[in-house]
Amino acid sequence: MALRELSSLEKYLGLKKPNKYSTQGEKKVPVLQNNNGPPLVGLVTIACHLVKEAKRPELLGGSAETRAVVQQWLEYTITKVHNCTKEDTKTILKDLSLYLQDKVYLASNQITLADIFLYYGIHPIIMDLSFQEKEQCVNVTRWFDHIQHYPGIRHHLPVVVVLRNRIYTGRHH
Amino acid sequence: MKLFVSEGNPHCLKVLSALEVTGVQCDVQYVNHEERVVPFLSRPTLPALLLPSGLHLFSSNAICRYLFEANGQESSEVCNQWLEWEATDLQPALLQALHMAVLQGKGSEVYKVLQGPLNFLDQSLSKGNTPYLTGEAVSIADIVLWATLCPVLSDPSLALGDCKSVKAWFDRVAATQSCQSAANKVLQGKGLQGMKSYMQKQPAPQSNQCRETQLCNSN
Repeated sequence: MALRELSSLEKYLGLKKPNKYSTQGEKKVPVLQNNNGPPLVGLVTIACHLVKEAKRPELLGGSAETRAVVQQWLEYTITKVHNCTKEDTKTILKDLSLYLQDKVYLASNQITLADIFLYYGIHPIIMDLSFQEKEQCVNVTRWFDHIQHYPGIRHHLPVVVVLRNRIYTGRHH
Repeated sequence: MKLFVSEGNPHCLKVLSALEVTGVQCDVQYVNHEERVVPFLSRPTLPALLLPSGLHLFSSNAICRYLFEANGQESSEVCNQWLEWEATDLQPALLQALHMAVLQGKGSEVYKVLQGPLNFLDQSLSKGNTPYLTGEAVSIADIVLWATLCPVLSDPSLALGDCKSVKAWFDRVAATQSCQSAANKVLQGKGLQGMKSYMQKQPAPQSNQCRETQLCNSN
């Protein structure tokens, strides 16, 4: 999964030459061989490296505060979302829904790597939700729908239909 | 800007050390372990940093990053790599080790849990051949990893094998005034027992085996 995410990120960033990755250990941690130094290890480390390589620093945040918030959500994605249990899922959706209540993007008023990564990470969870469950975390599904339709991000993932029309019920038509 | 911490919480050791090392001006407030400082999280999570913008940081590593950056030291790629390893590999093993040592009285089994990460760290340090993790000077990576390992490595009753390079590096970082002072604030000279009330409030960590299975399923 990690390698597909990195390859989709490369496409989004418009990097011309795809990098070659290997993995190490039982957890299949991605490794990027680096011509100018020792290899880089770890999904988030490599993703941030790609963003720098593509000269898109705004995706990591435009201020010290935003950069810290971006890193926090990247860490949240790989430590909390990636290997969560069914029980964790409920908490994650509830917390994110409250957090996203007054936000369009996770870390600032524009898209960052945190949105892209959480979208990749949470995709399997959203896929499994019933419509009713999706409506219980409507801020997450609104954010998710926005990111999956953001140009150039979705790539390897199928579109998830997230919302029924909530504004007009059947009897208005 | 305000930093919320609680006594005997191992995660707070990281941020208090970072605060001492960087010298950033910030109010520090001690609260109860159960205090819900971050409004959108259902579980009480400490430490937490209330940023000037009104947003909360709830990840101790992100708080450390912010404090270092506020002091003009942006995290390098090598540091990023160590912080990611700390979050994904070292931290889960350490929480399991603390759970065993502090709550279950199984200090003798702690080495089994920490062996993998400690050996990895030892090999990296001896291969790198520098006094600190990323070079000649203390970086954010040293502070974060030192603080994570501090509770177990400063306890003489836990036999943690023969990691010579880790021990030499650990003592080097521990010798700095900033780290000593932070360790005293969090552990209050009580060592592992100082963390008991915090550990009692935490859910039991998932065993490694079940983490691995879940990882396989999600991949």
